[in-house]
Amino acid sequence: MINEIRNKAKELLEKKRVECVIGYERATDGLTARPAFIYDPSEVDRLIFDETCVHNLSRFLIDKKHKATAIVAKPCDSRGINLLLNESQLKRENLFIIGVVCSGVKKVRFNQIEDSLQNKCQYCPQHVPSVYDFLVGEPVTETASRNYAEVTAIEDMTSADRKLFWAEHFDRCIRCYGCRQVCMGCYCYECFVDELDPLWAGIRIASSENRMWNTMRAFHLAGRCISCGECERVCPVNIPLMLLNRKLEKDTVHLFDFEPGINAETTPPFATFKKGEDLGISK
Amino acid sequence: MALDYEPKIVGFLCNWCSYAGADLAGTSRTTYPANVRIIRVPCSGRVDPLFVVKAFQLGADGVLISGCHVGDCHYNEGNFHTRRRFVLLRPFLDYLGTEKERFRLEWVSASEGKKFSQLVSEFTETLKRIGPRKT
Amino acid sequence: MTKVITKEDLLSWLRQLAEKYTVVAPVTSNGVTLYESISGSEVDKIDLSFSNTELSPKNLFFPPTEALFTIVQNERPEIIPAKVDREAIIFGVRPCDARGIALIDKAFLAEPADGFYKEKREKTTLVGLACSAPCPECFCTSVGSSPADPTHVDLLLIPTEAGYITQIVTDKCKQLLMGAPVKEAEAVQPSLPSLKSVPAEGITEVMSKVFNDPYWDRVADRCVHCNICAYVCPCCYCFDIRDYVSKGKIERVRSWESCQSAGFTRIAGGYDPRSTKGSRLRQRWYHKLLYFPEQFGDIKCTGCGRCVRSCPVNIDIREIINDVQRMRA
Repeated sequence: MINEIRNKAKELLEKKRVECVIGYERATDGLTARPAFIYDPSEVDRLIFDETCVHNLSRFLIDKKHKATAIVAKPCDSRGINLLLNESQLKRENLFIIGVVCSGVKKVRFNQIEDSLQNKCQYCPQHVPSVYDFLVGEPVTETASRNYAEVTAIEDMTSADRKLFWAEHFDRCIRCYGCRQVCMGCYCYECFVDELDPLWAGIRIASSENRMWNTMRAFHLAGRCISCGECERVCPVNIPLMLLNRKLEKDTVHLFDFEPGINAETTPPFATFKKGEDLGISK
Repeated sequence: MALDYEPKIVGFLCNWCSYAGADLAGTSRTTYPANVRIIRVPCSGRVDPLFVVKAFQLGADGVLISGCHVGDCHYNEGNFHTRRRFVLLRPFLDYLGTEKERFRLEWVSASEGKKFSQLVSEFTETLKRIGPRKT
Repeated sequence: MTKVITKEDLLSWLRQLAEKYTVVAPVTSNGVTLYESISGSEVDKIDLSFSNTELSPKNLFFPPTEALFTIVQNERPEIIPAKVDREAIIFGVRPCDARGIALIDKAFLAEPADGFYKEKREKTTLVGLACSAPCPECFCTSVGSSPADPTHVDLLLIPTEAGYITQIVTDKCKQLLMGAPVKEAEAVQPSLPSLKSVPAEGITEVMSKVFNDPYWDRVADRCVHCNICAYVCPCCYCFDIRDYVSKGKIERVRSWESCQSAGFTRIAGGYDPRSTKGSRLRQRWYHKLLYFPEQFGDIKCTGCGRCVRSCPVNIDIREIINDVQRMRA
């Protein structure tokens, strides 16, 4: 698998079809992966691909909007690419997507690769990327169906318990904005938290402001989050952020029959409506 | 367990229908609880989810969005968008601990002064029953 | 024979201290270990087997958010007093983190001192805990510290089979130890665990020569400017100050910020001298390895390894130092 990726990368760089290949290389712990930017065909041997390649590389395409770039894409990354294409943040002709058939990324704890998959992989319905120019790995028929058990568990709590649950998590938030920075959907030039007037949250780090931040960032990703799980992975204080995004994904799928990131040509759910749709509200 | 408190309701009313309807309730000398603080918007579709969450953050016990009836929007389509946002935001806020009874979307036309006053009375009663929303 | 306190006695001593002092100790919950204020009855929540906390103890002197003063309309400005009512004890400070606090002291206690920081600092006793099993990312020995370095704590506890050896460092802790259940016991101080070394010697000089190297842009390619490295660091201390008005009151609030944020150096008029990713990333290393040492004499890094563990894209200060030393040639 890795040789196919390296050879394709080398070919694209030698032919100057792309300026840069974004992929993965070995991290300094000698065990896990980290994002790699290859500009020279002689460096393609830095590229690796294994079950520690957790990062969503589509995030880096935002920094390379006007450049011809190749990218190694797992299914979740490909959904990210589709989102950016759908929202006109990227031009398809600038991209060469090296899609990789994925069987999941493993969890790493205490410098050891565990047997279990990352949370995001446990509920991901895809093995084959949604979009690619070149596919590495044998395609499989997708059989997994969508499952939101962890969301239902929270929905089944009492309102009072939910309030306490979220208060405990949001109180730990230090507003590092790591969740925002790693998200490929968060590309606003000026984020709402940075606005001075109107002042939505400000710089104070306290319960109320933290709630505002986490609630509205998730809502700004409603129908857009493609469940790459990066926000939750990078959070330094372990806030279960995917519980927020997945709740909105569940409702979006159920109410609007819309799955984010599957298609670059679709109309986002908040950019449209159906006149006669029954959403359970009175006329 | 109803506490003795006066619920604060923030109401985003669309200029063309709901605000006029609320005005009609007033000119008809209808009595209804003074718990609603009205913010006039050009269309219910102007209501950004940020407004709703901010209203709760600043101390609202309940938030109401009111606009023209479906199909009658002064700007043709605004309230279709309001609907979509509402059906995703309300369960989400409920999921985060702000009970769904605290957030309502109702269509009130310019001639429905009585409906508006009844709506506010009912909403105030509900909020009295479920108690204040502590932050 | 050395002075030793057993684990059980340690916990009962902390329980007792919690009556008079604010006791802060490492507590693990939701998969993360953080310093928390604990009451006497919560002493069993202390995680004595932690390696290090996710966020450093700098929080307790330089909190993520702080109100500096309030101005009430039509009245004289009321400065929120920096006064601390109850003295505090931070239990379980690792030598690297203690060194981090000492580094921040150089900036915050230089005249004119930051009153808020100074008050908290003077009213807090640091009880250190030597490391028996450092993390793979630790390199304190390469930057002037060690797993059992007592230099910047008031009292150092060294774990042994017989209990914790108590090493008194400053007079501050003598008061605390009066009546503490310390016994004489045969206790052998374990040999210091060895750490991989990082070639930090002479880094300042090399840094002064490689400012314009394209290396910084290449590393910055994968940086997402998430601020996490600065927030988990025991010696980073940048902040932002804003005034907030509400209900006739103006409140001046100070919160953590980092040089990595886009717009950190944006000035009135819109110009931003560090608008590129590479220039912001470079600033971090330059402050740590050149500017701070030039100003205060020490490298602004304690080798705690937190940034290495927390960086989402594996930007590793040890790798940076190695790469820069190689550029010397």
